[in-house]
Amino acid sequence: METRYSHEAVDPADPGPRIDTEFSAAEFDALLNAAVDGIIVADRQGRIVRMNAAAERMFGYQAAEIAGQNIDIIMNARDGRHHDRYMDNYMRTGERKIIGIGREVVARHRNGREFPVDLSIGEAKVGSEKRFVGLIRDLTEQKRAEEQALQQREQMNHASRLTTMGEMAAAMAHELNQPLSAISNYTAACQRLLNQEGNGQEERLDVNRALEQIGVQAHRAAEIIQRIRAFARSRETAREPVDLRELIAQILPLARMDARAHHTDLRMRLEKDLPLVMADPIQIQQVILNLVRNGIDAMGAIPDDQRRLDLRAWLEDAQHVRVTVTDRGPGVPEDAEDDLFTPFFTTKASGMGLGLAISRSIATAHGGTLSHFNNPVVGATFYLVLPTKIESEEETGHD
Amino acid sequence: MTENTVFVVDDDRAVLDSLGMLLRSMKIGCQLFASAQDFLDAYQADWQGCIVLDIRMPGMSGMELHRHLVEQHATMPVIFVTGHGDVPMAVEAMHNGAFDFIQKPYRDQDLLDRINQALAWDEEHRSQEDRKRELLERSQSLTPREREVMECVVRGLANKVIAMDLDLSQRTVEIHRARVMEKMHARSLAELVRMSMVLQEPA
Repeated sequence: METRYSHEAVDPADPGPRIDTEFSAAEFDALLNAAVDGIIVADRQGRIVRMNAAAERMFGYQAAEIAGQNIDIIMNARDGRHHDRYMDNYMRTGERKIIGIGREVVARHRNGREFPVDLSIGEAKVGSEKRFVGLIRDLTEQKRAEEQALQQREQMNHASRLTTMGEMAAAMAHELNQPLSAISNYTAACQRLLNQEGNGQEERLDVNRALEQIGVQAHRAAEIIQRIRAFARSRETAREPVDLRELIAQILPLARMDARAHHTDLRMRLEKDLPLVMADPIQIQQVILNLVRNGIDAMGAIPDDQRRLDLRAWLEDAQHVRVTVTDRGPGVPEDAEDDLFTPFFTTKASGMGLGLAISRSIATAHGGTLSHFNNPVVGATFYLVLPTKIESEEETGHD
Repeated sequence: MTENTVFVVDDDRAVLDSLGMLLRSMKIGCQLFASAQDFLDAYQADWQGCIVLDIRMPGMSGMELHRHLVEQHATMPVIFVTGHGDVPMAVEAMHNGAFDFIQKPYRDQDLLDRINQALAWDEEHRSQEDRKRELLERSQSLTPREREVMECVVRGLANKVIAMDLDLSQRTVEIHRARVMEKMHARSLAELVRMSMVLQEPA
């Protein structure tokens, strides 16, 4: 078989296509502009020298107009202020804070919009001059997706809690219907037997047996209720000494996300050195989160720039810690005051009316209180008062 | 079992027992079954009365039992007893031919009213069935020629026309016609027409 042609194609002396170590200017431009990430080159004074097409789109500037400007024009105000100092510092000491590491920073678009980016910086020497190359990836979409996923997860948790309660209510209604139906039937039978003329010994025995059964069935109904109560109790976890600041810090991302989604300015002031409280952390977190959500919901109808929610915690006296959530909504309407903590009462179009009822029962079970007042000027304040660890321990001892 | 009986099917012993006592206090005969299967095992086609059926039972549900009965062409009316949130099921049962449904907890009088309606319906329906069966027997005693004459008579044809159509003498038609009236126990032409309508109804 003749296979020479394949040998002819290979010349052992030819090294084949070479990897270029140098770019032509045209190749370099094409490479820069094909990149999905934004690429910006700055000199040692922090002035922009070059910018690729992706960076132009990302920041809303043309490379030509921005050349020579200080890099802090595309940074948010806070990072911008520190940038020159970082650069100086690096130049003097060689201490790297970002070079070769990459980190998340906040960038600023020409129109003032700030957005999260992943920034990594490399350095190069061009002749005797030092240059910095920044690779910038826009994280806006990724962040949004992450937040959405988190919010969805939380919503599902919330929904599943409510569903479980709804299912329990349905099962409870079904269970209780059986003895109640029986009692109702026996009672009706008794009435008829007693009111009929000419009934004798046999009917009297029937009445007796029916009355006995009524007792049995009433007892059965009571047992069903006992079982439900035991079930509800079994869901309670053990109390432990907890730091309220820490506990609030854990739910803060959720609360902030909720606030941001509803354009609400969430402010927090937590007193330092709060004593520990004896609590089920999850339950107390549910209560506080519930109050925050209610507060945010209460401001749905007022202008965005007036929506402000204040979450505060302080030591009220030696035995009590107070957590308050203050909104700037319309306040609690007078006719809703009485029913606010009643199960299945709601002023919301899509509410179950269980949040405050459950929250109050949790507060009460902790030996605390949950209540509210309308603020003098605007909005309402809901407050949770919990006994500190010391008081809980001394409960049995002193008067 | 010849008299009207209320057949109660409920898996809850207390509900079953109390319903039995309530019906007995009303002097209504009843039979109690603790499961759908128990009922189906005992069921006889000639049972008369109505069925009070819990829709939600472990094992065979009330709905399934009802489907079995419909398949067997059982005509006894069925009253479903439903619990919390079973209304969609009850509506489906009505579409499948259930007589009525009642939601727990019910007032005893409401249930008794429905039971009485169901028993009355069953009796009425049954007497219609009986009457139809009797008419069928009578019509089967007619000769082929008599049946032909009857079909013409109920279409309102005069004897003269019938005679021509069937190629008979008018006198012969008159004799056949008298025999038809006699065998069908019809006292007038109108009654005979009604009878033929009943006979033509689908089963």
